[in-house]
Amino acid sequence: MPNPHVLLQDEHGKRVLLLGNEAIARGILEAGIGVVTTYPGTPASEIGDSISAIASEAGVYMEYSVNEIVAVEVAAGAANCGVRGLTAMKHVGLNVAADALMTLAYVGVRGGYVVVTADDPECYSSQNEQDNRFYALLSNLPCLEPSNPQEAKDMTISAVEISEKLELPVMLRTTTRVSHTRGPVVYGKITKPRLKGSFIKDVERLVMVPANSRPKHDVLLRAVEKAKEISEKSPYNKIISKGKNKEYGLISSSSAYNYAVEAAELLGLTVDILKLGMTHPLPEKLIGQFLKEHKKVVVVEELEPYLEMQVKTIAKDYAPTTEVYGKMRQPHFPRSGELSTRAVLIGLADITGRKLPINFQEIDARYVEVVTGLPSRPPVLCAGCPHRASFYVMRKVAGEKAVYSTDIGCYTLGIEPPLNIGDIMICMGASIGMAQGISKTTETNTIAVIGDSTFFHSGIPRLVNAVYNNHRIVVAVLDNLTTAMTGHQPHPGTGVTGMQTVSERIAIEKVAEGCGVKWVRTVNPFNIKEAEETLKEALRYSGTSLIIFRAPCALMVVRERRRKGLGVATYRITEKCTNCMACIKMLGCPAITLEKGKVNIHENLCTGCGLCASVCPYKAIEPSATD
Amino acid sequence: MKEFNLVLAGVGGQGVLLAAEILGTAAVKEGLNVRVGEIHGMAQRGGAAVSTVRIGEKVFSPFVLNGQANFILGFEPLETLRNIKYASEKTLVIMGDEKIPPPELTLKNMDYPQMKEILKKIKRFSKNITLVETSRLAKEAGSILTQNVVLLGAAASTGKLPISNKSLIEALKELIPAQHIKMNLKAFELGYNYVKN
Repeated sequence: MPNPHVLLQDEHGKRVLLLGNEAIARGILEAGIGVVTTYPGTPASEIGDSISAIASEAGVYMEYSVNEIVAVEVAAGAANCGVRGLTAMKHVGLNVAADALMTLAYVGVRGGYVVVTADDPECYSSQNEQDNRFYALLSNLPCLEPSNPQEAKDMTISAVEISEKLELPVMLRTTTRVSHTRGPVVYGKITKPRLKGSFIKDVERLVMVPANSRPKHDVLLRAVEKAKEISEKSPYNKIISKGKNKEYGLISSSSAYNYAVEAAELLGLTVDILKLGMTHPLPEKLIGQFLKEHKKVVVVEELEPYLEMQVKTIAKDYAPTTEVYGKMRQPHFPRSGELSTRAVLIGLADITGRKLPINFQEIDARYVEVVTGLPSRPPVLCAGCPHRASFYVMRKVAGEKAVYSTDIGCYTLGIEPPLNIGDIMICMGASIGMAQGISKTTETNTIAVIGDSTFFHSGIPRLVNAVYNNHRIVVAVLDNLTTAMTGHQPHPGTGVTGMQTVSERIAIEKVAEGCGVKWVRTVNPFNIKEAEETLKEALRYSGTSLIIFRAPCALMVVRERRRKGLGVATYRITEKCTNCMACIKMLGCPAITLEKGKVNIHENLCTGCGLCASVCPYKAIEPSATD
Repeated sequence: MKEFNLVLAGVGGQGVLLAAEILGTAAVKEGLNVRVGEIHGMAQRGGAAVSTVRIGEKVFSPFVLNGQANFILGFEPLETLRNIKYASEKTLVIMGDEKIPPPELTLKNMDYPQMKEILKKIKRFSKNITLVETSRLAKEAGSILTQNVVLLGAAASTGKLPISNKSLIEALKELIPAQHIKMNLKAFELGYNYVKN
């Protein structure tokens, strides 16, 4: 990873390679944002992580809030005291935060406030691929959409300015491809953040009881009109003119714009492209004029036909004879999955009747021939992951019949064979909620599997519900002492804050007891016998029981050993091995492999957790002699 | 300069993303326009990892189209094959030899495919393939974790990267923690000389 201090260099004009998310972090510094809050989630995590690493030096207050709605509330409180704020989250995080954001749109802000939503087309690391631009329409909030790291930085600053001008939160919407692409970014000047403001009491403006909400709705709608004027003149909404061919024109935004430019070039189409960077509210007049000037307009966008729907509405008033192509009436581009240069190339070739410059069919056919039967390599629990031990214990004690209601985190990977733990999963915290309905309506043992960070995020209200309504479920908290999947961010159970200061740990045991759980135990999952006995007892309990499987994330353990100059104490197979394959069949550890049909431990992958040695029926696995 | 496309393919934990970032940083040092694409997946380790580096004035997106890669840096043989669609007969394929059997293979009680077979399939796309003993060289440098830099050295030795060795080394020094720089410089040199000689 790059040294985060690169972001602090106050060298105006310096050109640096940054990840889209790091560029947003740089934008935070240049915009003088004082309060940054987040809950980690791919593909947004590096925004908060970059700021956390330099927050005290930069004079920024940064926190990993317990969840996204709290993150919005904290920053919105600060922004209502005139301090500039930003909250970053993944797309589904905005579902959690939506309750706050929808009415914050009525209340507004005094200091500029930006909500970054990082969408995940293709569900690379998410449970769905919702298009959050619709939140801009729903909430009436302005929305900016960068297409590369430079714009990500610049638009962060512009979003703050627009927010202050309109006294409204502004959305900055990225996608995985924007957040996780690196590109050159030219630095501007860093602005020293202001951390202190003042709270000005104004009940009519700030307290949304019905009598105040009604007029505030109209205030919001008037602000949208002002935002539209900004959008008409915005430098981010511009026509990139390519010549005299006025038959076709393209309209695009975000990373789809990159594909559109490259695809047009490859097809030899010299056409005008209207690039939209401010996508709510849309510049109606600019789009109307563009529609008038072209006979056929192609809307190139990712996921939902968000632009196309509005462009067609505008076309009705401005240029009813102009044909609009996209994905609605005739699907020229896919509406699901990540868009790509290839998909745009094929769509544009189809619409314009041009020949594809690459023979995809031939290459694909040859490719299929060479990769047929190639074993897949899906994401797996790391070698040494304590969740593997927990799942082994669950499988052994509760077996195939129990229903495992699982949740969002590394442990979702328990669904892979041979562990097969995870029967239903929708969103953060829902493991505990759904387990209650399953337990109520079936006779099966129901285990809710939830991680430590997810427990704090949204597990607690569900736990209270389970206890109070006397649902007979086992809540298994897989506590690896970090938010592992998103890159080891702290949470209230870790004792560290986003400012990298120490805070008193909040013990999950005590939270559970406080929620009224009468049966709470903690085990080390690598201590297999004890863990098995404890789980058996939990399953016998007549109400809500909670068992914490606690062992640190294997990556943290290995990192710590390396930092101390200690090697990793790997394990090896001894001559006692009968090649019964029990370790492979029960654990599915990526470090246990086959070498010419014989069980083998891959020395570069083993992290020395010793789980395989504990389960080997022949005691044929032992620590390697030295390291 | 004409557009330059490089694909890096391996397994999470092998240092694919860092190698791509070193290349991208070096390109910026040369004053070039660049896009580095990467996917941060569901797993921290063990899943397939692919990264792309695209250099050129007209480069907007990080996507490499089928058959358009100038280079494929393969960190692991099966993952190299999995990404071979990016190659044409002109592509230089530089491949490391650390085999990491996918768990699926182990669960099905199957051996890792023969290297001969993998090479034969790769050659249906490009015959310009150089095998590098990355595990041995990385260990010789001081750690298996330096195999990404061994591969960078190997790629640099072809003289066909649009980036100077000087910029690559500078980028490497910026991105690798101070205490590991010496080891990585050695890895770079070992990879460089392995292909050169």
